[in-house]
Amino acid sequence: MRIKRYKYLLFVLPALVYVLVFSFFPAASVVYLSFKSNSVFTLSNYYGIVKSDLAGAIADTLIVSIGALFIQLFFAILIANILIKSLKGNKVFSTIFIIPYGISTVVAAFVFSLILSPLGGFANSTLVSFGFKPVDWYSTYYSELGVVMFSDFWKNTPLVALILYGGLSGIPPSISEAASVDGAGPFRRFIYITLPNLAPYIAIALLIRGVSEFNIFALPLVLIGYYPPLMNTLVYEFFTTPATTPYAYAAATILLIIILVFAFIIIKLGGASRYEK
Amino acid sequence: MKSKNIGTYIIAIILSIVFIYPLYVLVLITFEPTYLTFDRLYPYQIPVVFTLSNLEVSFKNLSLVYPVIRSTEVAFIVAFLALMLSIPAGYGLEKLTARLSNRIIILMFIVNMMPALVIAIPISVYFIKLGLENTVIGIALAQELVVLPISVFIMLGGFRSLPSDIENQALVDGATLKSAFIRILLPLIRVPALVTFLIAWMTSWDEFTYAVIISPVKPTFPVDLYDYVSRGEPFVASSFALIVTIPVIIVTVVLQKYLKGEYLSGGLGGV
Repeated sequence: MRIKRYKYLLFVLPALVYVLVFSFFPAASVVYLSFKSNSVFTLSNYYGIVKSDLAGAIADTLIVSIGALFIQLFFAILIANILIKSLKGNKVFSTIFIIPYGISTVVAAFVFSLILSPLGGFANSTLVSFGFKPVDWYSTYYSELGVVMFSDFWKNTPLVALILYGGLSGIPPSISEAASVDGAGPFRRFIYITLPNLAPYIAIALLIRGVSEFNIFALPLVLIGYYPPLMNTLVYEFFTTPATTPYAYAAATILLIIILVFAFIIIKLGGASRYEK
Repeated sequence: MKSKNIGTYIIAIILSIVFIYPLYVLVLITFEPTYLTFDRLYPYQIPVVFTLSNLEVSFKNLSLVYPVIRSTEVAFIVAFLALMLSIPAGYGLEKLTARLSNRIIILMFIVNMMPALVIAIPISVYFIKLGLENTVIGIALAQELVVLPISVFIMLGGFRSLPSDIENQALVDGATLKSAFIRILLPLIRVPALVTFLIAWMTSWDEFTYAVIISPVKPTFPVDLYDYVSRGEPFVASSFALIVTIPVIIVTVVLQKYLKGEYLSGGLGGV
């Protein structure tokens, strides 16, 4: 029986070899190359990236990731709770709420660059027509990060809402009904029934989303360019500037380590368990 | 009860406006003459003139048409390759011992989270040596990494939901393993296979990181759009942005009931 089962490994082998060759091998070579400069082993690439404010990029990426995640979570809970009610017109709402998922990231970033353009733009056009003063959305360092966060909220909230909706559908309505009969209002029902039931489910989903957020690349590249630098735009800038290409390997190694630590935590918490036997 | 629903409706409508507004802007800049949109400090928000001239100019500009064709080719290759690799892998993982299959699943799970940029940079160096940079195949081979783990998970779920008796019966009736797989099992997993195909297709259509590193000279549409934006002439590519968006929105809306959050959350390496 044991030997007979191993023949099924042949079915898995193509996919397995594929990811090993195209993913693990390149990742290992990035780490190797990060210690090389002019074919000598050295830490100079790491000194270089520390000097170009790697710590700042990590901090800003964390700010954007955590900020975007919280905004997404808040609105996703709201949306999932709207969709779970059997309202009239819910089909229309769920269709509208999924639209951002169908718009590609670069197109979304491009549209937001037009809406939030620092001079003029569609958002300011709205403000001006209601008699308000126009706002320069790019005026400060943190407002630039805010532009990225807001666009990211728009693009990815549907995804988080879908995840939470899946979790909400798994809670039997009878629990909530029983609490309702016992006199619990909608707010208390949410705090004492919905949230505890949803929490373990949300935690894993959010950690996985958090990893994606930390890898944010196309949105900031289109919206704010290389400044303020985030982890991925920093690596990309190093890579595309000939003088600093070796730095890209060092910064990429740091990025890889951060992500792998997160991945390790997620797996320890049972993130992959829904696929396991 | 009634008044509570009104509150919910108001929130739902406000959120709907927020989610639809960018799409509305995209429609405006496509069908309004540029003197009302791009050329004004404060663009007009209400459609007053309807024109097809923006679209006409775009379609005549072959440097815009080629990236869209390229994106389409890449997306189909990625989606087919995803099926070819993930159907057998899903089947094999379902049959393997728990110990072995769980290890492979965790490996795939890690691949799923690996930062695309970290992988793309060394791959681009190899692809230059292999003559695969700036080719459709090169982009597709790299993008496959983004969709493969999630495709395997979806197919694994599909095979798990089948009763194992079906295959055994076919084997008892004298079918070989291969013919049991092709004749009996494949038709039964067409829904997860379709979901895999479409999610892989859409992920590739959206993918930017691998595309920009592997093929900067012959860009896919997202990379081309980025090039125009970074050169400060976004209006050139803007009407195509709507054209490439509409089919995907339609697919998304039609497929709504199959788009489970867990599939999608796994499939996004970098946003």
